[in-house]
Amino acid sequence: MRRRILSNRARRAALAVSAVAALALTAGCAAANGSSAQGSAKGPLVIGISLSLTGDFGDTGQAAERGYELWADQVNAHGGILGRQVELKIVDDTTSATQVVTNYESLITQDHVDLVFGPVSSLLTVPGAQVANRYGYAFIEPAGGAPNVFALHLHNIFLAQPAPVLQLGQSFVDYILSLPKAERPKTAAYSSVDNPFASPIVAEVQQQLQAAGIKTVLSQTYPSEQADLSPVVARVVAAKPDLVVDGTQGEDGYETIKDFVQQKFSPKFLFMPNDASDPVAFPAAVGMANVDGIYTADDWSALADRPGNQAFIAAYVAKYGGTAADIDPTSAEAYACGQLLAEVAAKTGSVSNATIIRALHSGTWTTIEGNLSWNAYGATNGHSGLLLQWQDHELVPVYPVADAAHAPENPKPYWGA
Amino acid sequence: MVHTVIQALILGILTGGVYALMSTGQTLVFGVMRVVNVAQGVLVILAAYLSYTLYSQFGIDPFATIVLVMPAMFAVGVGIQLLFIRPVQRHRGSVTFEQTLLIMFAVAVGIEGILDLAYTSSYRSIDTSYANASWTVAGYTFSVVRVLAFALAVGLLGLLWLLLNKTPFGRAVRATVQNPTSARLLGVNTERIQALGMGVGVSLAGASGAVFGLIYPFDANSSYDLVSRLLSIIVLGGLGSVVGAVAGSLVLGVAEAVVQTFSPVWAPFTFLVVLIAVLLVRPQGLFGSAERGAL
Repeated sequence: MRRRILSNRARRAALAVSAVAALALTAGCAAANGSSAQGSAKGPLVIGISLSLTGDFGDTGQAAERGYELWADQVNAHGGILGRQVELKIVDDTTSATQVVTNYESLITQDHVDLVFGPVSSLLTVPGAQVANRYGYAFIEPAGGAPNVFALHLHNIFLAQPAPVLQLGQSFVDYILSLPKAERPKTAAYSSVDNPFASPIVAEVQQQLQAAGIKTVLSQTYPSEQADLSPVVARVVAAKPDLVVDGTQGEDGYETIKDFVQQKFSPKFLFMPNDASDPVAFPAAVGMANVDGIYTADDWSALADRPGNQAFIAAYVAKYGGTAADIDPTSAEAYACGQLLAEVAAKTGSVSNATIIRALHSGTWTTIEGNLSWNAYGATNGHSGLLLQWQDHELVPVYPVADAAHAPENPKPYWGA
Repeated sequence: MVHTVIQALILGILTGGVYALMSTGQTLVFGVMRVVNVAQGVLVILAAYLSYTLYSQFGIDPFATIVLVMPAMFAVGVGIQLLFIRPVQRHRGSVTFEQTLLIMFAVAVGIEGILDLAYTSSYRSIDTSYANASWTVAGYTFSVVRVLAFALAVGLLGLLWLLLNKTPFGRAVRATVQNPTSARLLGVNTERIQALGMGVGVSLAGASGAVFGLIYPFDANSSYDLVSRLLSIIVLGGLGSVVGAVAGSLVLGVAEAVVQTFSPVWAPFTFLVVLIAVLLVRPQGLFGSAERGAL
C-alpha cells in the first residue's frame, strides 16, 4: 500500500473550503436526514462507496465489496435499517486517488446518497474522507489505518479495525516479552523495505525488543525499487539471528521466503507483519510447504473468538462459497463498517450523519473486528491486533490469549518440514 | 565478510545473466529499428504470465514452455511492428525517437491493462518442485533456478551471436543497423528485417519472462522496475550493442549485489553512479558506436 501526504498549503485550503462548505451544507444534510432520524422515510437507505474494483488494489477492493454486500443482504433480510432497505451504490475508483474524489463528490452531490462508507487503503481514504467531511458525512472506513489518515484531524473518520496499522507488530512484541527469558530469542535481525507501512512497524518492534535485552545483530532497510533481494537476504543469513523481523510489502515478501529457502536458513522465530497474513496469496506465492511457523499479524481471523464472527463466516461461505480460510480480512473490515451503522441506528433511532458522528465518538461498539472506540481523529484506541501463526498450513490466532485459537509453536520448523 | 561478498558476487553474476537475456532483446530492437522499446519490461511480464499459464494449466515445465513462449512472443513483436510502428513510418515517411517512445509506451500500458484484467492484481509465482532448490559448493549457495537461467541465457545469447554473425539474415540485420539506406540500395528489404528484428528482440523477452517468473513473484505492474533497469543497462552498454547489453547486465548485477552486502540503501544508486561515470567518459556507452549501431 502507498500513501499520499497533502502539502500543508493544500490541507489548509481544503480545510478552509471544508469549513465554509460544511456550514452551508450540514444544515441541508441535517434537514435531509431529519426524516430518517425519526425512522419514517419510506425510500431505501442509499449508501455510496468508492471501491478499487480494478487497478493495483483491485483484489482488496473486491474483497471489501463482498463484505459490504454481505452485510447489506443480511440487514435487508431482517427488515433493513429503521425499516428502510439498504441500497449500496458502489463505484469503481480504479485505485486512483483522483477518481476517489470524483466518486465521492458525485455520490454526495449528484446521487444524493444518504451515507457513505470508505474505500480500501489509506491512499484513497485520505482524499475520500476530506470530501465526506466537506459535506458533513460520517466516514466509517474499513482499511485506512495509516498515520496520515488521522493526521487530517477530521472528526468524521472511524477506522473499523482494532488498532492503527503502525501497531501491527505490538501483539508480537507482547507475546515475545510474555515468554520466560530462557525461551526468548537471544539475537534478532530486522530487515525492511523502505515503505511507510513496513519500516515503522519493524522499527517499533526493534526498539521494544532491544530495550528488553534481545541483541540486534542486523538492522537494514532496502529501497522499494530493489529488484533482486537475494544479497539482502544473504546479509540476514550471515548474521545467523534467532529471530528475523521482516517488514516486507508485496512481492518482496514472497521473494524473501524463496531466498531463505534457497539459502537454507530457517530462523527459530520469523515475524512478517504484512505479507504472511494473506491466507490465499502468501501460500500460493511461497508454497504451502514453507509457511508453517511464520508469525504475522492482522486485525481479523476466522478463528478469533469474537461476537458474531462465526455467523459472519457462515453467511459469507453460504453466499460466496469456499471456506473460512479463503476470507480476506478486508471483507470482515467492510462488514464491520455496516455493523457499526446498524448499531448506531439501533441505539439512537437515527441514521443522520451528525448522529452517527456524535454516537461513535462516545462509548465502545461491538463488531467482528473487536470492541471499537476512537480518538478524536478516527484512530481506534486499541493497543494491538491479533498475532497469527501458520500452523499445519492454517493461519491461526495465537495471541493475545483471549483471542487465541491455539498456543504458539516454537521454534519454526525447517522449510518444507 | 569475505564470504558474504563472494556469495553476493555469485548472486550478482547469475542475476546479470537473466538481465542480459532481457536487455539484448531491447538493444537489438533499438539497433535495428531505432525504437526505444519501453515496453520490453511488460513484454517480459507477458511472457512470464504465458509460462505461468502453461505450467499451472497444462503442467508444462517452465523451461520447456520457452519452446512455445518464444515463438508466441516473436509473433507479438512482429505484430507490434506491423500494427503500430509501420503505419506511422509509412504515413510520415519515417518514425522519430519520440514517436516510438510514445507508441511503445501505449503498447506497454495496453498490455498491462489486459494482463490486469485477465489475471487480476494478485501476485503470481511459478512454483515448481525445484524452484527453491539450491546447491552448496564450498560453503556457497547456488540457486538451481538461477544457474539454469544463467545457462539458458548463455545458450540463447550464443545462438543470437550465431544468428547475427553467421547467417544471411544476420548480415542483413547488421547492414540495416549500420546504414539502412545503403542496405536498401543493396537489396535488403529493411522493412521486413525491422519486423523480424522486432520479433527476435521480443522473443528474447519471451525466454527471459519464463525465467523471471521462476525467480521472482510478479504481477502486471512488476514491469515498471524492470524497464528502468533495462534502459539503464542498454545505455551503459551502448545503445544497439548486444555485447554492451551483456556487459551492462553483468555490471548491474554484480554492482548491486556487492554493494548490498555493505548497504542495501545505496545499491541502486551505485549502479546509477557507474552509469553516469561511464557516460561522462564515453557518452556512447561501453560498446556503443558514436555514429551508428554496433551489433
